[in-house]
Amino acid sequence: MSASINTSTAVYLVANTTRKTHKIPVYIGILILLFLVCIAAFAPLFNRFDAISQNLDRVREAPSLEHWLGTDHLGRDQWARLAAALRVSLGSALIAVLVAACIGCGLGVLAAWRGGGAERAISAFADATMALPGLLLVLLVASLSPGAYALLYLGVALSMWVEYFRVVRAMSHRVLSGSPVEAARLLGFGPLYIVRRYLLPELLPVIGTLMCFGVSAAVLAVAALGFVGVGLQPPAAELGVMLIELMPYYEEAPWLLAAPSACLLLLLIALVLLAGEKDPR
Amino acid sequence: MRTSLIRRRCLLAAMALIGAQAFAQTTSQIPKAADTPSTAVLRIVGPWEISGLEPASAGYLFARMRVTETLIDADDSGRALPGLASRWEASSDGLRWRFELRASARFHDGTSVAADHVAQMLRRAASRPGVLANAPIKLISAEAGAVVVQLNKPFAALPALLSHSSTMVLAPSSFDAKGGVARIIGSGPFRITSLDPPQRFEVSAFDRYDGALPLIQNASYLSVSRAETRALMVEAAQVEIAFGLDPASLERLRKSSRVRVESVTIPRTMILKLNAGHRWLADVRAREAISLALNRAGIARALLRDPALTANQLFPPTLAGWHVPTLPPLRMDVVRARELWSELGWQRGRDGIFERNGERLSFTLRTFPDRPELPLVVAAIQEQLRQSGVQIRVAIGNSGDIPLRHRDGSLELALAARQYGLVPDPIGTLLQDFGTKGGDWGAMHWKNGSLQTALNELSSLPPTATDAERMKLRAFIAQVLHEELPVIPVAWYRQTAAVSPRIDGMTIDPLERSYRIDRMRWASPAPRER
Amino acid sequence: MQLHPPARIGLHPFAQIGLHRLWQALLVALVVGTLTFFLLRLLPGDMAFRIAASRYGYDLVSAAAAESVRAELGLDRPMFLALLSWWRDLMQLNLGNSLVSGEPVLHELAHELGNTLQLAGVALLLSAVIGVPLGMLAGSRPGGVIDRVTLALAVLLRALPPFVLGLVLIVVFAVQVSVLPAAGHGAPSHIVLPALTLALPLAALSCRVARDAMVSVGQSAYFAFALTKGLSQRQALLRHGLRNVGVPVVAYLGVQMVVLVEGVVIVETLFAWPGIGHALVHAIFGRDVPMIQGTALAMGLLFVLFNALIDVACHTIDPRRKATS
Repeated sequence: MSASINTSTAVYLVANTTRKTHKIPVYIGILILLFLVCIAAFAPLFNRFDAISQNLDRVREAPSLEHWLGTDHLGRDQWARLAAALRVSLGSALIAVLVAACIGCGLGVLAAWRGGGAERAISAFADATMALPGLLLVLLVASLSPGAYALLYLGVALSMWVEYFRVVRAMSHRVLSGSPVEAARLLGFGPLYIVRRYLLPELLPVIGTLMCFGVSAAVLAVAALGFVGVGLQPPAAELGVMLIELMPYYEEAPWLLAAPSACLLLLLIALVLLAGEKDPR
Repeated sequence: MRTSLIRRRCLLAAMALIGAQAFAQTTSQIPKAADTPSTAVLRIVGPWEISGLEPASAGYLFARMRVTETLIDADDSGRALPGLASRWEASSDGLRWRFELRASARFHDGTSVAADHVAQMLRRAASRPGVLANAPIKLISAEAGAVVVQLNKPFAALPALLSHSSTMVLAPSSFDAKGGVARIIGSGPFRITSLDPPQRFEVSAFDRYDGALPLIQNASYLSVSRAETRALMVEAAQVEIAFGLDPASLERLRKSSRVRVESVTIPRTMILKLNAGHRWLADVRAREAISLALNRAGIARALLRDPALTANQLFPPTLAGWHVPTLPPLRMDVVRARELWSELGWQRGRDGIFERNGERLSFTLRTFPDRPELPLVVAAIQEQLRQSGVQIRVAIGNSGDIPLRHRDGSLELALAARQYGLVPDPIGTLLQDFGTKGGDWGAMHWKNGSLQTALNELSSLPPTATDAERMKLRAFIAQVLHEELPVIPVAWYRQTAAVSPRIDGMTIDPLERSYRIDRMRWASPAPRER
Repeated sequence: MQLHPPARIGLHPFAQIGLHRLWQALLVALVVGTLTFFLLRLLPGDMAFRIAASRYGYDLVSAAAAESVRAELGLDRPMFLALLSWWRDLMQLNLGNSLVSGEPVLHELAHELGNTLQLAGVALLLSAVIGVPLGMLAGSRPGGVIDRVTLALAVLLRALPPFVLGLVLIVVFAVQVSVLPAAGHGAPSHIVLPALTLALPLAALSCRVARDAMVSVGQSAYFAFALTKGLSQRQALLRHGLRNVGVPVVAYLGVQMVVLVEGVVIVETLFAWPGIGHALVHAIFGRDVPMIQGTALAMGLLFVLFNALIDVACHTIDPRRKATS
């Protein structure tokens, strides 16, 4: 969906608000993130239910000692599903964002390095990708193989890479035309050295910030896709899909919708706090 | 100092803006039912879009809103009633049907309904995709005040087919120069006043209708794709009737004092269509094993929230004459299901899924999201089959994929909802579904000679045949389908609607042919502004 | 933005913007057209069947119906012929007829685009009305209570999926208080809830942008100087502050417009708003190729147009900026 834009807006939210270097928010962010990762990783150890076994006699139950977060509309243990969803969401969102970042950075550096026709061609391609609605791109890629989460996230990645491309190209231009790089070139250092020594240290913090938000944007984008009917493939648990599946029960079993919503909110807050430290300016 | 002043000004500005907004909100008006019944609008929402004006595409919507008529109408049990045809008769050999038209019938443009035009409309319907294309029609011609249909062989279900919305009669002025439908001008008790595809249209009573004039003067239909939204709209009294609600919303609305929920069982069945030509499904024991794994009662109770919808045979009790109470009910027995797979040479693997010669017992189950309950039930079936040792890969896609894969042979399992009262007499649908070549929404690579004979015999029974003869054939067909399981019944259906207390006289048509707005009236006292 | 057409020295800045964007629009049209064409051909499943399903409904879809669709539309033509004729039609701005409804795509687009623009416009206005004053308020005292509360709200609103927000708004304003209609289209009041659903997350952003601009204005030398030279607080704010808050807010409006046009899909589906996003999803499910190409093209061109408008607006507010950034 509007994944690419979400990232830029989120970056804005942070980049300009927490300009001072506070350590405490970052620690809180790390703590929240660790908490979520712990749920994802260790929940199965403390739970005798799995994420797919159903019990149609015990659907939409309230939280109890037996089912910590209750049971969902098919009588599955909500706690087990939430843990599974966190694993899938965090993992694949991370992959999507990594893919987007790799494509974007690679092309960005290439464009800035080569300049001229190559840069114009790549930029034109980026412009055209931006103009093609991200939604259309994701819908098309996702419908290539209904139910394949990997493709879904690949589609999200394809609609997000331009963000990285623009930032990286602009920054690379500045760095590459700087005197340290010029000196290094005169001294005969190769491109790899220059990228490693001068470019990456400048780029990494910014890319890190962008990626923090990319993760939550990707999860939200997949949720939005589920809403329009692409990507709803049982029985896999995924945060966005859980939101869609459980939405109809918002009144009779509000705790069902609350659990994935709270997870998503926590995730975003953690990423905001974490990214705040790495101010791109 | 400085900043505090700015802050105060900003605060003032913000307050002014919020105030303006609040004002804008209170002054904006909700479209409402006005004071008098004559200008009040009965507003209906449903999930169906007006995908086009062709009778075969969205014609059913115009029929439901009583704008258009078909030659034949039907009562709740599917018995034929006069529609545009006031009476009809078949020759003794059953090859020649004569439909006498209602002489006083008029189109909304004032012209009378002429026989040769009706004949032309029927020929048009027969030449296009739709139910009439399945009938053995030789010739359709017009006589004075009547339409004559000649058949190649007897076909008892002809009146039933002629009640389907794809055979509706539109006025000659509905068509453009190229023969396409440009506007909807029918002959029903309501005429279209505004048409805004794909979302909405409005109708008003047609004061020159030759039958009973409706009590409600104005009505509108709006297509809203989300079930939750429809439920909230009727709850917020923004509309009077909402169709196609999801089980969770219905549960909530039942407890609400603002609306009442009407429901009626309909001749629709949720079926598991399977490829009987598949090397693992050809044996009837395999199909039985799948059937035994299904927890139909659980699905009906927990997901559809109505235990009465547990399908213990294909035809629901609504289909009187086809539902056979004496058939042994379909049951759940996972242990027996596993035994059957074992008998077929399968052995359980380490994760509980059956294996044979290094292959896992795994199928792809397809369904589509147009009906909100299908993806839900698919998730339950997937798990129930896993418990019995069968692995299921679910693919939710376009509804067109199922007929496509039926045709190219790549379909394994599919979950669908089949309306056996698509035309009031199910024989029309059954011929299509269980004919010699199987049907897109019925059997696949499954043949049973005695069933074919019975179907053909039933469809070509002369009009003089007794009910006992029909019942005998129907019971036989139902039994063969029950034992052979070319499709596996999962659940029956109930059509539900949430209705505002401002409406009286609301009933639901089990055949989904009409919203019956011509029989409703405003509750007294007259509806007022909310 | 990244494309540099031959520089015309002495050309009026607006003409420069126009030329640049025109060139971009052309490129977009070609790439979008070709890309959607090929992506569509790659989709699994049979096009004739999907079209038949959306035309006749799933009760009547059959092999016969699909065959008649295939024959009628000539879907069995070789691919390159279809692409060539698509290009030719594109150049003539002939977008064809919808395969499902048979109506001209251009006609349907105009209808839906109008609805979407209306919704997006109102949402944008609402977001500015809610976000900017709050942001300026927050920015006038960075680190204050309002600053922190608006930041928290901004994070919350951005973490909330739009359909959850929309649902909450319907339940509150239509069901509980019943002052607004829940969904639909027609009366002016119908637009309030969907627009608000779109506007709130956007207001969260406008608020932060305005807040930051406000902070930097408050700290700037010219602002202090304006006060020293005797301008009142109000005059200083009007003369220097607003203009400097305006540029970043307007620049971000451009980004927001695209979010809006894309994000409306969910809001339109939830609120039954007959706009272009709704149409796009339907067209994809129905494999309505001309309609998909048409909507994608319209969205792409809209993006270019918005950017041009934003360029003009930024230039008008602050003529020192280069015509094409």
